[in-house]
Amino acid sequence: MDGTRPGEPAGSAGPGDAAAAAGVTGISVTNPDLPGPGATSPGGTRIGRPAGRLRHAEHVMGTVFSFDVPASAAPVLPEVLSWLHWVDVTFSTYSGGSDVSRFGRGELTLAECAPELAEVIAECAVIEEQSDGYFTAWPGGRFDPSGLVKGWSIERASNMLSAAAKTGPSGTGPSGTGPSGTGTSGTGHSVNGAGDMQCTGEPERGRPWRIGVAHPLHPSALAVIVAGRDFAVATSGTAERGPHIVNPHTGLPATELASVTVVGPRISRADAYATAAFAMGGAAREWAESLDGYEVFAVAPDGASWQTSGFAAYTVPA
Amino acid sequence: MRRVVLALGGTVAGLVMLLSFRSHMASTASAGVTAGSGGTGTSPGSGSAAGSGSSAAPGAGAASAPVSKGSGTGTAVTGDAIATPYGPTQVQVTLNAGKIVKVTVLQHTDDGINSQMIDGHALPLLNNETLTAQSAKIDAVSGASYTSAGYIKSLQSALDKASA
Repeated sequence: MDGTRPGEPAGSAGPGDAAAAAGVTGISVTNPDLPGPGATSPGGTRIGRPAGRLRHAEHVMGTVFSFDVPASAAPVLPEVLSWLHWVDVTFSTYSGGSDVSRFGRGELTLAECAPELAEVIAECAVIEEQSDGYFTAWPGGRFDPSGLVKGWSIERASNMLSAAAKTGPSGTGPSGTGPSGTGTSGTGHSVNGAGDMQCTGEPERGRPWRIGVAHPLHPSALAVIVAGRDFAVATSGTAERGPHIVNPHTGLPATELASVTVVGPRISRADAYATAAFAMGGAAREWAESLDGYEVFAVAPDGASWQTSGFAAYTVPA
Repeated sequence: MRRVVLALGGTVAGLVMLLSFRSHMASTASAGVTAGSGGTGTSPGSGSAAGSGSSAAPGAGAASAPVSKGSGTGTAVTGDAIATPYGPTQVQVTLNAGKIVKVTVLQHTDDGINSQMIDGHALPLLNNETLTAQSAKIDAVSGASYTSAGYIKSLQSALDKASA
């Protein structure tokens, strides 16, 4: 996660203002085939799709989480959304009263915080070691696990959807490719948090997810399209927010790459690896080859690109 | 400011025109454009305006995405008009049975070198990959993080709005 942070002040980017300006609020294309309107929430809008699919956009953590799920997931969606808002509050580095802020100031012990914080810190430590410190929960010496929290919460939200699909009345198993889909629609889902996503199963029977990777230099183009089932895609870059990923070893903004995309099984790792690789710059290429189970595609500021040896397995013709 | 409708052969690349564009042009934000006509593809690289001029629907407020159902042509979803380095631009995505079948740039100023840039650079990109009903399908977009405000100009937003 490189741009947005849990608990980021709303300001002009607040859900209300942004939604109104964007026309997000008020758009509700209903589909008679879908379950009742139980999955709407103040932060988002539910939009129906045909053939048993449903999309939902939720404003949370200073950004938007986009859900593309089977209609059968509608009953569990509110719980997932509530959980994301809880993460927002608990892990906010902007709210002085959050567990993360109080822990960072030494006012709470780890045992006094939500147990999820210990889980996040442990995961941060693993990635910090793997990345030679280019990923850290202590940027500039201040405790800030934000670099992991979004990817971790995307993954947890996806897991909640998978668990519900497995145990629910229309359970289809964790891969989401079971036989109970409606028509040709798939039973997989994707959770896309500000451009980083976890995908399960298939969006449509017999077809993998197709994810466009935005070209960091040409807003009118995709750099590449990747496809897969049960995989994660994360991209770190500067497109909207300008240089803001700092190399923790120099304290300076990373500028050697325009964007880094990581594909692999888990979004919590893929997202953190993308952030670390972006901070590494040119040195990321060799490091990326060493990652087990994850493949990397990067674009340099001059438009040149490189990819790890296994990345081609994910690419598809446009 | 002269408005023309560019009828592009839709491409996947064109979808991302919405990405990373910044501030909103209030004066054009409410200009919903009725879809369903035009959209006949131009030859690759021609970059010429081919449409029928703007058919603005001033009544369409910014708080609702113009969605028009064209018989046989799918559902068109129009993004907000946004300021770009090349002038106000608006992108329309047409879906049929859940697949993106057409991408159309609805607004485009033609008042100088910046417009030439989009003609000379973006349009060939747009035409570089021909969109078919099968190959068109993009489920989501991965890119540098956006804020809540940035999301509204993103392709992901257009995809989320889309409902065929």
